[in-house]
Order: sequence, then structure tokens, then C-alpha cells
Amino acid sequence: MSAPAPYSYRRILRRETHSSRAVLAIAAAVAIILLCLYAGAEIILMMVNHTALLAAPQDMLSALSTLGATPIAVPVTIGILLMLLGVLLIIGALTPGRRARHQLLPSIRAAVVVDNEVIASALARHAAHAGNTHPDNAVVSVSAHRAVIHLTPTSGTSVRSDAVENVTREQLASFELYPHVHASVVINANGKVGA
Amino acid sequence: MNNTNRALNRILILVIGLLTLLAGAALLAITTVHTIRADYRATAPTVHGDLTGWFKTIPLAGTGTSWGWILILAALVLIVVLLLIFIFRQGHGHHDTLLREDTTSGGATVIDSEVAEQAIQHDLDERPELLASHVSTYRVRRTPVLKIVVTCRRGESPRQLAEHIENTLTALDTLLGRQIPALIQISGGFRARLSRRTRVARTAHAR
Repeated sequence: MSAPAPYSYRRILRRETHSSRAVLAIAAAVAIILLCLYAGAEIILMMVNHTALLAAPQDMLSALSTLGATPIAVPVTIGILLMLLGVLLIIGALTPGRRARHQLLPSIRAAVVVDNEVIASALARHAAHAGNTHPDNAVVSVSAHRAVIHLTPTSGTSVRSDAVENVTREQLASFELYPHVHASVVINANGKVGA
Repeated sequence: MNNTNRALNRILILVIGLLTLLAGAALLAITTVHTIRADYRATAPTVHGDLTGWFKTIPLAGTGTSWGWILILAALVLIVVLLLIFIFRQGHGHHDTLLREDTTSGGATVIDSEVAEQAIQHDLDERPELLASHVSTYRVRRTPVLKIVVTCRRGESPRQLAEHIENTLTALDTLLGRQIPALIQISGGFRARLSRRTRVARTAHAR
């Protein structure tokens, strides 16, 4: 049971930082199920000689066989919509689907993943402290490779942007995130009173 | 951590996407491209005729319908059942047993996941910087792995938090005499946004 070699977290980390595409797959499956149920309902209604819900199955087939003759506006629209839907599904199936999370690199005992939101609020706290302003005046957004810090200074005080930059860089370095994140600091020209 | 079959998810989406794309493209080609339209109009009615003719050769005992429809119904039911199995196969992977060891020839030692979960949970509950925490055990490739999900207050350093939780884990290792692989997930989320930034440490004799 015990693992003599260090446990490899590769699979777990990959799964925790990427989407399972479960929602999309379930939605697609439900759509197909509904289509099947509808077709089944029409066939059963036809077999018990009941009036159809929308169109009897034989009528659908014969409509399909005379497709070229009917007015083309409706089939063209449906065709374009179907193609669009198909392309979106294919994109969903093939893109990596990264989640808004990072891995903390040298984890001694366990694998660690952190939501970008947590990284952002930690950076905001330090940036605001270095910029002499309230943490609510620091707006930080963290994406896969970048962290952008928008700081609104308190009116009447000057903000040393290099100090803020140093602090955020230090913090990011101490987190040791993977993928690596580069920080940039934007300081608003207009201050805020009493912040 | 759960054992959702991700490759299968992607394959299903890809197949449905390709089929939808093909259906759309076919519809578009038939209605707009002249040569294809001509071909389609020449062959489609004969195919349709063949199909209805085949349906008539296998009538369903005097009801005026055909076994063909029953076959189609069966295929539809099969597709629905397979897709339902696919949907309910998502997730899962929780595991109740943390360790099982055949210590002696006479018996085995089994440690429930609850032991580790409650030990860690108890330790995390006392940390003021954490708003919520949840510990569970998953079975990943035959190995039980602990999953520790914590929600922290705004502004906490994820590195420090991770170190604290790793210390807790090391204590557990000493207790069990064994290292259980673990994943720590530090999340913000809704509760973090609503809660106060400042934290006040709980004392033993607080009222």
C-alpha cells in the first residue's frame, strides 16, 4: 500500500488545473437524448394511429427526400446554425480548457493548487500596503501568465510605483507559481479622497 | 481527483460536434450548390422509395405498420440508455479505506479514511485564516489520496497557508506512520468575498 517512491502528482495536478468538460458533455448528451425521445414519441404515436405532435415520421422522411425543391431559406438557416454549433462543440472538445488555477511549485509534502482569485487578493493586500492605500483600492486580475495590478492612490499621497512593483514581484517569487506569472503595475493618475 | 473519464467526455463532444457540423454542411450543400442539389434530387426519392418498400416487406402483424419502426425505436432506446449511463458515470471516486495492511498472517489492519479526514479537519477548523475546509479521500489509480479544500480569507498568502496545512499533514504522517499522498486546494470563492478581511483569533475562554 505504501509508496516507497515519491508519489507522482502529475495526473492529479493536470486534472485539477484543467476542465473535465463534463458540463458540455452532459449538455450534449441530454440534447441527443431529448431528440431521441421526441423521435421515439412520434414513431409510437404513428404506430397507434394517433395524430402527430409536429409531423409524422413518414412525412419527415418524404420532406427530407424532396429537400432540394422546397424553399431554401429555412434549410440554409438551419444548416448554418448546425455548422456553427458543430464548430463550437469541436472547439470545446479540442481546447485544453484551463481552469483559473495555479500550482504552487515546490510542495514538500503535498500537491498544492491555488485559485487565481486567492493569488490576486494576496497581491492586492501587499500592493496596497506598499502603495499606502486601502486594499479595496487595489484591483488585481490574475490570468494564466499575467497579473495586472491597478492601484488608486489616496489623494495627496504619492505612490512609488517601483516599490509596489518590487513588493508584488517578491510576493510572486515567494509563491513560486506554475505556470509562471509576470506582474505589471498600473497606477491611476487620479487619486481618491479618504481612501 | 474523481474518476470521470475525461477522454470519453471529449470524444463524445467531438463526435456529436462532427455529426452536427456534417449535417449542417450537407443541408447547406444540398440547398445551395447546384451540382449537389441535382444529384440529391435525382437519388433521394429512389432511396426513400427503397426504404418505404423495405418497410412494407416486413409488416407488423396486421397493424398497418412495420417492424422497421420497431427496429428504429429499439436503436433510439439503446442510444438513450447508453447516454444515460454515460451521464451517471461522471464523478465518483470517493473512498472509505485509507490503509489496509495484512500485518500478520492472522489478521489485517484497516484504517478508515474518516480517521485522517477528521484529524485534519479538526486541525484546520481552529485556524482563523480559513473560512471553510473540507477533507475527503479519493482513490486515484488504486492509491487513496487525500483532498483538502480550504476557503481562505481575502489577502492570505497561499504559500504560508500551504505550509501550515503541510505541517498538519506531517503530523498526521507521524500518527499513521505512513505518508498518504495529498492534494491541497486553496480557493477564494463567494464566502471569501463576503467575509471580513481582518481576522480575530479565537481564544479558549471566549464567550
